[in-house]
Amino acid sequence: MIHTDMVCPFCGCLCDDIVVETEGNAVVRVDNACTLGTHKLMNASMDRLKGPIMRDGAGWRDATYDEAIEYAAGVLLDADRPLLYGWSSTQGEAQGLGVSMAELLGGVIDSTTSVCHGPSILAIQEVGHPGCTLGQVKNRADLIIYWGCNPTEAHPRHMSRYTTYADGFFLQNSFRERKLIVVDVRKTETASIADEFVQITPGGDYAVFSALRAIVRGRGDVVPPTVAGVTKEQLEKIAEMCKSAKFGAFFFGVGLTMAPGRYKNIRNAIELVDELNRYTKFTLTPLRGHYNVYGSNEVFTWMTGYPYAVDFSRQIAFYNPGETTAVDILARKECDACLIVASDPGAHFPRKCLEHLTSIPTVLIDPARTVTTPLCRCQIPTAVTGIDASGTAYRMDGVPIHVKTFLDLGYPTDTEVIGRIFEKVQEVRHP
Amino acid sequence: MKFLFNTGRTAAQGIGLDRKAGAEYARATSRCMMNPVDMMDLDVEAGDHLQVRGPAGEVVLSVVPAEGTPRGMVFVPLGPYANHILGGETHGTGMPDFKTMTVEIEPTLREVPTVADLMDEIGGAAYSPEETS
Ligand code: SF4
Repeated sequence: MIHTDMVCPFCGCLCDDIVVETEGNAVVRVDNACTLGTHKLMNASMDRLKGPIMRDGAGWRDATYDEAIEYAAGVLLDADRPLLYGWSSTQGEAQGLGVSMAELLGGVIDSTTSVCHGPSILAIQEVGHPGCTLGQVKNRADLIIYWGCNPTEAHPRHMSRYTTYADGFFLQNSFRERKLIVVDVRKTETASIADEFVQITPGGDYAVFSALRAIVRGRGDVVPPTVAGVTKEQLEKIAEMCKSAKFGAFFFGVGLTMAPGRYKNIRNAIELVDELNRYTKFTLTPLRGHYNVYGSNEVFTWMTGYPYAVDFSRQIAFYNPGETTAVDILARKECDACLIVASDPGAHFPRKCLEHLTSIPTVLIDPARTVTTPLCRCQIPTAVTGIDASGTAYRMDGVPIHVKTFLDLGYPTDTEVIGRIFEKVQEVRHP
Repeated sequence: MKFLFNTGRTAAQGIGLDRKAGAEYARATSRCMMNPVDMMDLDVEAGDHLQVRGPAGEVVLSVVPAEGTPRGMVFVPLGPYANHILGGETHGTGMPDFKTMTVEIEPTLREVPTVADLMDEIGGAAYSPEETS
């Protein structure tokens, strides 16, 4: 059977033109997706856990959904400071239930944002977000900047769908008319196709932004001959390219958010974009990784006022990244139970955090065996949104997209499993 | 020798994401990309093993020459190997030092561990599907 206009549930591009061909419960062909999306969709039914598993001494045993859900609710109810972490590769509907449950438990809810674009949000809260939709970029932008990111490998269709290789309604010959500037500390594949590649010394982003802002302001005289390994000549050239563009679109990745300066780098980038808007139209968009990490920020914000790292222990929503963020809570050994949904801290968190995860009752809701599995006491497999579950996800530009399903493998969705855990929590906390 | 330890995405790491139990993912995330001149200084060749020591401990990776990586820096795909040596400090931002850790690197004859070995060391219990059912 051929399923058209499917949405790829891998990265924040949320490409919605995917064609999937299935024979029974096997995916036999995927068209339009990049290698990352194709792998995820082709392996749709492989490596899934058959049912919940629970730790049994040093080994594991099978469990029923009822038993695993009962266990998960029990450890959350018993905890003084439960941490509910993940939420980036699941449906908006499940995220909303997670927030309600964290509130009722007086726990902390955080998404993978804290280890990807958390600093971008901190900067946006300070100085605002000059954003736009990817459709605007595709149709209007004649200058693209990729800074501290490598879309060729992390968002492989970003360039063909929205920037360099995409046709633009307001551009005659978009491929020729669009200029591409890549800024990075190493020469990546994306850098090799840039019109202008700017290689800066690690940690030099803030200084380069400041120099560019000075040049755009007409105060190039204060800029020294080289800034963080970049010549003044090249900085002047880039500033001129930006000022003379009709519409510039600035994209950045974790190369900026994780570099020294963290959110101050992004603040400086936003202020550069602000400066450029005196001359032309310029916008800025973070390249979001997980397909629905942006959704977690949206859902958390509607419900609590804060985009991630929300702490309900004071019975009101409290937010203080650096204190209420998952890595800090785990590294300080502060939480006494953890529910992990649709993310893999085992692969992405510092070792100290993982050591604490193994010492507390940790429950994982994830379709497949992951690096986090060995660290847990219980894992509950669910359906994968975009494969055998449908739901809402937010693209990296904040556009909500209905993610569709093309298989039925009989697994409950994240929303169903979290809903059932939440019911049990409510029975005790709100009898 | 001291190096700046940089982590990030690669396509191979991304492809492995949905099958993290597989050997492909372990191979993709245990690569240490290094400038060929630095490799000469360390006297290692492509595929040789390196012991990399960071704030939280050490891990063995295999070296891959990469012209695009500046001297004094190594690039390792994000994943369990890179994070095995990363400290929990976030400098009040929630974000650990994924791209700014200083590490000490030397050649070694030890084997690159499996992901299960790494998790065992942390205190985890490996799960294999045959075990239950
Ligand atoms: S670019 Fe992202 S959303 Fe699009 S097909 Fe590739 S992985 Fe999927």
